[in-house]
Amino acid sequence: MTGHIFGLGIGLAALGVGIGLGMIGNGAMQGMSRQPEAIGKIQVAMLIALAFVELVCLLTVFIVPGSLKI
Amino acid sequence: MGDWITQSSQLIASVEEPHGADSHGGDHGDGHAWVSWEGLLVYVAIVVGTLFVLMAQAKKGLNNRFFTNKLTQLFEQVYLFIENMCVGTIGAHGRRYVPMIMTMWMLVFSGNLLALFFPTSPTADLSFNLGLALVSVAYVQYEGIRANGLFGHLGHFAGPKLGGFLALLISPIIFVIEVVSELMKNVSLSLRLFGNIDGGHRAAEAMNTLGAGIYVPFGAFLLPIKLLTVVVQAMIFCLLTAVYLSLVTHHDDDHGHGHEAEAGHAEVAPAH
Repeated sequence: MTGHIFGLGIGLAALGVGIGLGMIGNGAMQGMSRQPEAIGKIQVAMLIALAFVELVCLLTVFIVPGSLKI
Repeated sequence: MGDWITQSSQLIASVEEPHGADSHGGDHGDGHAWVSWEGLLVYVAIVVGTLFVLMAQAKKGLNNRFFTNKLTQLFEQVYLFIENMCVGTIGAHGRRYVPMIMTMWMLVFSGNLLALFFPTSPTADLSFNLGLALVSVAYVQYEGIRANGLFGHLGHFAGPKLGGFLALLISPIIFVIEVVSELMKNVSLSLRLFGNIDGGHRAAEAMNTLGAGIYVPFGAFLLPIKLLTVVVQAMIFCLLTAVYLSLVTHHDDDHGHGHEAEAGHAEVAPAH
């Protein structure tokens, strides 16, 4: 039973993170295509944002099993 | 907080359980290759030894005019990449922090590269990553104290300068929140690296299990995206360290800051 909930939690986290990553990529690509000379700066900011968003999914992997043990 | 640590240590213990008493060296069987610390040190020794030999070879090619040694040229390019990143993120005084950040970049990068060929690697292990993150955050504090003095650095934690009654009320709260977020930087830096590298391993294992029935190692097709992860994670680790440094070492005077940013931009431009 807990295994099912664990899978659901990871799946939900992956769903949200997927949407978030897609939106970051969308924004960065639009910015880059409008202003190709700023590609370097946009890429750096994009990578930082990507790192913060994907951390949410990784934290879920660690926290969901721990919180199920209570 | 303490509860969370207990839970995560239980989690780690439950991961370690399948090995039982025979946990020396690396267990390369099914499941996760969670090595003992002696086993981890072997991988760390591989990474550090390789880096040491390469850098010693590259150092021989140093001279005053131009570099003809291929290895020296390679490390010059790496240096330029890191310097660009530091100057672009921190500003003109970012060149001071290049040695530390480049050391971290090479350590994380070669650790990640090792993870492509071995079942585990230094950066696929939570303890090594936590150590690396502790070093990184401690270095940020050290540089902050060196740039602004001890009380100036602590003053950064207390948020903006408020006057009178408001300062007494709000500044302690902001101080506590900032200290907690400073501590959480360790967790986020280490978990990000560990999750990405170890997650790559687990994904490859899961895909290999998928193709085991028809004898096709699907996990091998993950190699290109793992290669991307290697570069991006090493870069993100150093980029975040640089961002933390830039948050801590900037000076409060506004006109100086603008000038520094301008100078940093001028430095970045010719290298592209």
